Amino acid sequence: MVGIKKNKPRTWRYVLTTCVMLLMIYPFIYLVLNSFAAWDQVDKKLIPTHYTLRSWQWLFSNNATAAPAPWLHAFFNTFVVTTLSVALMMLFAIIVAFALSKLNFRGKKFTNNFLLFQMFFPGIILLVPQFLLVTKVGLIDSYAGLILPTAVSLWAIFMYTNFFKSIPDTLIESATLDGATPLQILFKIIVPMSKSITTVIFLFLYTERWTTLLWDMIVSKSDGTVTLNVLISQMFGPYGTYPGPMYAASVLLTLPLIVLFLLFSKNFQQGMQYTLK
Amino acid sequence: MNKRNDKLGFAFTAPYIIFTTIFFLLPLLWSIWLAFTNWNLISPDIQNVGLGNFIDALKSPAIHAAFFVTYKFLLVFVPLAVVLSMIIAVLVHGLPKFKGLYLVAFFLPYLSSGVVTSLIVKGFLSYNGPLNTWLRNRFDVNIDWLGSPNTALFVVSFMIAWKMSGYYALILISGLESINDEIYEAAMMDGASNRTIFWKITVPMMYPSLYTVLILAVGVSFGIFTEVYQLTGGGPNYATNTWQMEIYNQAFVNLKSGYASAIAILASIVTFMSISVIRKLIEKWGHHYGWN
Repeated sequence: MVGIKKNKPRTWRYVLTTCVMLLMIYPFIYLVLNSFAAWDQVDKKLIPTHYTLRSWQWLFSNNATAAPAPWLHAFFNTFVVTTLSVALMMLFAIIVAFALSKLNFRGKKFTNNFLLFQMFFPGIILLVPQFLLVTKVGLIDSYAGLILPTAVSLWAIFMYTNFFKSIPDTLIESATLDGATPLQILFKIIVPMSKSITTVIFLFLYTERWTTLLWDMIVSKSDGTVTLNVLISQMFGPYGTYPGPMYAASVLLTLPLIVLFLLFSKNFQQGMQYTLK
Repeated sequence: MNKRNDKLGFAFTAPYIIFTTIFFLLPLLWSIWLAFTNWNLISPDIQNVGLGNFIDALKSPAIHAAFFVTYKFLLVFVPLAVVLSMIIAVLVHGLPKFKGLYLVAFFLPYLSSGVVTSLIVKGFLSYNGPLNTWLRNRFDVNIDWLGSPNTALFVVSFMIAWKMSGYYALILISGLESINDEIYEAAMMDGASNRTIFWKITVPMMYPSLYTVLILAVGVSFGIFTEVYQLTGGGPNYATNTWQMEIYNQAFVNLKSGYASAIAILASIVTFMSISVIRKLIEKWGHHYGWN
């Protein structure tokens, strides 16, 4: 079944795979076409026949809400929150993973084990008290409230720790003999060697943070901090009569991730090959 | 570097230790304490209710639903995701060229937000949507996809399987590529059928990547929230009421923090035990193939 049937014409394989691929991609096509569809055709046809820019114009004007251009502001919020969260997650993961893989200190084994325990711990138990904590310290409805509780990724620490372990100790020892400090060794030698795994971790973290709903939904209470994902989610019900603009907003939410992924796709494939070994 | 240096080690692990203390240990203790109170998020008056919240939870039909719905999702979503990703992996693996390009295309659904896919699915499956219009004209039937218990559960499972399958296919294809072609050739010489080859050679030999996919998929089915929140709100009649949905409703809609914490503790225990048992079962299946 696999790797055999070499005598069959190969074109059929491409035709079949392409058909399956088009089926898988179709929801995206449906999304984009509906964001440009005439309003009486939205959600009516597999492929709309009349097109208009009305949905996009609606999105960029300040229809239906008091705030000026709420959708653009929500996009900006998503960008700020995701970028800062992921930057912190990456930075902390690199630093902590370096300690857990290359340094020798008291409590290292315990920290490693606790990290694993925490990774398999069902996180849902933390939702209510984390929300109360953020409320108590006055971070509700602020960027900090959205970012800080998501500033450390256990998964990223785990992935980096495993990767750093595969880097030979001799490299670090010789750099130490040359007088390099641990921070220099980490950021001048180890991090540059971790390009492909960094791409994989970055893309997964960015996608996940960009599309987070539950936490962002309970923390952001106003137009000032609401993320695009949450705004679309809120407008789902009461603005159900404007499905066209919802599709346009969804394109706005999805497109940056696709562009980012395509930009890094080569490094991503290399990195995946490493992580799957 | 092999010299022990406690100060350096502590300095480098400090971000993790501080974060875990504030956002893991503290909330964990807080939630255990909350579970024994009747606090409602606003009232300054907090009373100890003992095991009251847990007893209420065990009597609640919504909790009974959450318990079973999770396993229903598991039984529908996991096979769906594994089959779909297996089809993709086998198809792409059979291509002599452009494998990377196709894998990138199949991975794109993973980048979609649950909110966006819910929007698409809701529009596509609505009464006047393309699918129902076609079914009406062709077969004279109307299906209330999100309003009937079985179809609603299936639709949500299918959406998540669609989202994850490209990612899982990446994992499976690395398993397929680790199998040597000579084994297939030998089996074909012995006259083995394609089906025998698939079940007796391909599946056992790619067990490690199947294991990864199964564990990931099982984890996903215990954490379903966004799609259910957007499309059904846990309905109809609790048919899609997951643990997450119930905790959200109790904590942030009904504002019963204490009760929600008790449910969260129950959910964590059930989830942790279920995943441990399932993991053991999958590992047992691997032992059968000679993997340990």
